[in-house]
Amino acid sequence: MSKRAVDMTFQAIYTLTDIRILLRETAPSHEFDIHQEAQAVRLLENLERQVQSLKQEILK
Amino acid sequence: MKCASGIEARQVDELFINIDPIQAGGRLTAEAMKAVIAYGDGYSVCDNCRKPNRLDYIAKPPIAEFHKDVAKWLNMDAVRTVPGARRGFQAVAQTYVKKGDPVLVTSLSHYTEFLAIEEAGGIAREIPANDQKLITPDAAAAKIEAVKRELGKAPVLAFIDHVDYQYGNLHDFAAIAKVAHQYDIPVVYNGAYTVGILPVDGKALGADFVVGSGHKSMAAPAPSGILAVTAEREKEVFRTTAIVGDVTNRKFGIKEPEMMGCTLMGVTLVGMMASFPHVRQRTKHFDRELANHAVVMDALLSIEGTKCLSEFPRKHTMTRVDTIASFDRIAESHKKRGYFLQSALEERGVTGVIPGATKVWKFNTYGTTHKQALHLAKAFVEIARENGLAVKG
Repeated sequence: MSKRAVDMTFQAIYTLTDIRILLRETAPSHEFDIHQEAQAVRLLENLERQVQSLKQEILK
Repeated sequence: MKCASGIEARQVDELFINIDPIQAGGRLTAEAMKAVIAYGDGYSVCDNCRKPNRLDYIAKPPIAEFHKDVAKWLNMDAVRTVPGARRGFQAVAQTYVKKGDPVLVTSLSHYTEFLAIEEAGGIAREIPANDQKLITPDAAAAKIEAVKRELGKAPVLAFIDHVDYQYGNLHDFAAIAKVAHQYDIPVVYNGAYTVGILPVDGKALGADFVVGSGHKSMAAPAPSGILAVTAEREKEVFRTTAIVGDVTNRKFGIKEPEMMGCTLMGVTLVGMMASFPHVRQRTKHFDRELANHAVVMDALLSIEGTKCLSEFPRKHTMTRVDTIASFDRIAESHKKRGYFLQSALEERGVTGVIPGATKVWKFNTYGTTHKQALHLAKAFVEIARENGLAVKG
């Protein structure tokens, strides 16, 4: 375990929080406009990277 | 989905447009949600508490700086955080009101102002609202004179809500404070529905004290709020302790009795701090909020029989409407009775109207996007049409 693992855990939660806000801003339909869609893609890519880094840290 | 044993994960604002009148301004920002995750533990802000061991002196996280920033933002001289606006009222009442003292409130005042007066032993006297449900400076002057005649002395304090919780009406606080000051009555500005929602300049308004609610209007967790004071009042309300233990001879440094020492020691304070940059900015764009509110009001008022009980045009996003001659007519014969409106709204992804309410009810559109405001407007009109009510336009 490392500080990096802790940081990645928080980063991933924060990215999920940003996704949560996106869901709030688009409730109830959750239909994204072009900007929100781009934001969602970026957040999900970040989340995948963060989870991947977390896997490397925790399972090494 | 549960977040703990027996506790449902609350997903109201993710699944619905929430127009609950008291919840709109307290929804957390992303920053506050993140801070809440990091600072959820009990005394989490106390890691770096150093002498003189008081909350508003802590530099990391930047609590001391936050206090200064909030004072500057409100154009007041000193600020403390409090567990809700009511604790701000309480601190001021405990300082200035003695047994039998008259205190001014209004006929639209929040109950916690009454309780603060009661606890201090004071006598509440209400300035009546006029037919438009507005508190006027003339009515304030008349009430002060009436109190003098009745009790032989002028009120020692006045609590005036800039925007009241019943109608969401904007009252002429500055003019009322000017009248009160002519009788040397210090005035509490109740900003539960304004601080964090629209621009507030305490000194320009003539406030001796500004009280704000974190969970109602500053995108912060409950219970949180602020009490801001002028330099003249700082040493009175925020006086420091003088008590000494007779056995131990202990003293308690610069702790403040009205604050009961430290106030918000964790997630409430950090949540309010984290939202503050966003909150400060959003108050500059209240016109956008009013524009979104107008979209919804136009739709509601296009429904035959619907009336706005609040002042109109609207100056705030919380509004009281009368639908006795519209939605309540449907409720009389609908199989769901009074619950049909809530049910029909929830089918359309809208929540926050009191279940069963079809006569007189309040809603608040603060924080909705324009697209969500259009959705709300459409939802009300659709429900009206589907149930045979006439809609103009």
